[in-house]
Amino acid sequence: MIELKNVSKSYRTDTIETLALQNLNLSVPAGEFLSIMGPSGCGKSTLLNIMGLIDEPSTGSVILADQEITNYNGTQIAKFRNEQLGFIFQSFHLINDLSVVDNVELPLLYRNISGKERRRMALEALAHVTLSNRAGHFPNQLSGGQKQRVAIARAIVGQPNIILADEPTGNLDSRMGDEIMDILLRLNAELGTTIVMVTHDDRMARKTHRLIRLSDGERVS
Amino acid sequence: MFRHLLKLMWNKRRANSMIFLEILLAFIVLFGVYAFIFYNLNRYSSPLGFNYANSMGVRMDLNDDLDSLGVLAAQERIRQDLLAMPNIEAVTWVGPVNPFGGSTWQTGSMVRGQHILTQMMFVDEHFANTAEVDMLEGRWFDESDLKGKYLPMVVNREFKERYYPNVTTLVDSIIDLDGEHKIVGVTSDFKYKSNFAENFPLSFFAQPERLAQDDPFEMLIVRFTPGTLAEIEEPVYNLLVGHTKNTDVVIWDMAKDRIKSNRNIVLPMIILIVISGFLLINIALGLFGVLFTQINRRRAEIGLRKAMGATNGQVTGQFVGEMLIVTGMALVLGAFFAVQVPFLELLPIDGKYFYYGIVGAILTILFIVVLCSLLPSRQAAALQPAEVLHEE
Ligand SMILES: Nc1ncnc2c1ncn2[C@@H]1O[C@H](COP(=O)(O)OP(=O)(O)OP(=O)(O)O)[C@@H](O)[C@H]1O
Ligand SMILES: [Mg+2]
Repeated sequence: MIELKNVSKSYRTDTIETLALQNLNLSVPAGEFLSIMGPSGCGKSTLLNIMGLIDEPSTGSVILADQEITNYNGTQIAKFRNEQLGFIFQSFHLINDLSVVDNVELPLLYRNISGKERRRMALEALAHVTLSNRAGHFPNQLSGGQKQRVAIARAIVGQPNIILADEPTGNLDSRMGDEIMDILLRLNAELGTTIVMVTHDDRMARKTHRLIRLSDGERVS
Repeated sequence: MFRHLLKLMWNKRRANSMIFLEILLAFIVLFGVYAFIFYNLNRYSSPLGFNYANSMGVRMDLNDDLDSLGVLAAQERIRQDLLAMPNIEAVTWVGPVNPFGGSTWQTGSMVRGQHILTQMMFVDEHFANTAEVDMLEGRWFDESDLKGKYLPMVVNREFKERYYPNVTTLVDSIIDLDGEHKIVGVTSDFKYKSNFAENFPLSFFAQPERLAQDDPFEMLIVRFTPGTLAEIEEPVYNLLVGHTKNTDVVIWDMAKDRIKSNRNIVLPMIILIVISGFLLINIALGLFGVLFTQINRRRAEIGLRKAMGATNGQVTGQFVGEMLIVTGMALVLGAFFAVQVPFLELLPIDGKYFYYGIVGAILTILFIVVLCSLLPSRQAAALQPAEVLHEE
């Protein structure tokens, strides 16, 4: 269960102040697959980042798994991110100097898990996204779709309760997009993982449980 | 985690080899500079072993026609007349090798199976009193020693420690160094060239008769009551001109002479320190720059790791750890090269200064590296992950 109450976010640069989110209220029940749509720059990524605890709201509060996160300290937040959240970024964010399987292991590195077990879990996650044969490759040897699948494997390897996906199919052709979508749908259906997905694609959004729209930092539906 | 780091570093070996080289270079320069400074500071810190304050040096030209007995008599008359003057406390005749004089006399000999190399100083029996030489054992030679079977000899502490470290006392030993001599005393540390001279074995000999004839002592050290140099300079000059019938009398202040003698080392040392100081600043800045940009280029990685659940401490620890691993490897290689200098005795300098140099260089570099990796990684780790990820 994710709950945002009166969340606003503004970015201040030297010259201008951008209001990326305005008084946003949103509640996502556990097990829901929610999609977010809206024009570019309307604050979708910002919203996802705040839900994923990698950014802070300027005002308002974030409640995740019945915990008021606003009161957490750095170490508690790190632990929460590590155990409860899986992130799929708009631009993958793979570490180019690590092989595919090492990239997938990354979240496990910050848990008390033996190297052998980490490797086993990472390979299993790669099998999920049908990339086992690329485990030893480096990110710059992969296509965009393959990179996205590595990012998905990395997001699911720690079996989080919540997955936040920022345009996971945005960079892919429709066939590859469907494949990725199938993976997420399966995860949601089989493991009950809560998924919040930002997308520009109506077709994808229609496959999810619920759709909300943002415009200029405000929720319009 | 350690394996993860090693893997990551191996995959980035090109960037890391640059840091490696930079650190290796920094280490070698620092090592040299530190060894040089420690060596000279150590030399400076060892005492001269005599008093130069309130003393003047006097050089003159004794009459060439005198025979050895005549020379000795003339020298003694001059000494007595000087001592009779007000404000003069002690007077000694010394040979051509004298404090701060710039000349050296060295001799080497096989003595009972060991090669003894020693500097030599020829002085009279009043030298210890005039220059206030501190005796470790025995005493300075006196007039009675000059009439004994063996000519007397005094050595310094370094002589004893280098050649006779296990002998309880050298006093009364007979040594064949340019003829048989009897050691009557051992001084504390004594070096005469400058504060930066090394502690070297030194032997003091009296004025032998043959010297008195051919090449007599023509220099005096005169110790006077503090603050009276200006008063006595002229009467001393007049007295000596009267005695020698020769106006070639030169008087100088020994305290000033000491400063002049140090200049030969101090000046090049300052130049070297300034040059290496600049070099060092350059290298430190270079290292700072390389580490700083390396880590800043990886801000997104920092954000990503935090998003994956790394704490600020883990992120900072990882980056500092990575840098320390490269640094450690560079330092090990550098230290391996550096120990060859004392190990193979490439330079005629005690090995300990090179070891100090190694330790000093390692500590300095570790300090710089920790600082240069801690600052940017802490800075990046403190930001919200979204912020650094957004920058990409
Ligand atoms: N770190 C930041 N500093 C300054 N402004 C920012 C920052 N992050 C986002 N913004 C601004 O906030 C607004 C919302 O950005 P956001 O990335 O959430 O948009 P988005 O809806 O995800 O757009 P897109 O569909 O193009 O990804 C934009 O106007 C953007 O310029
Ligand atoms: Mg976005």
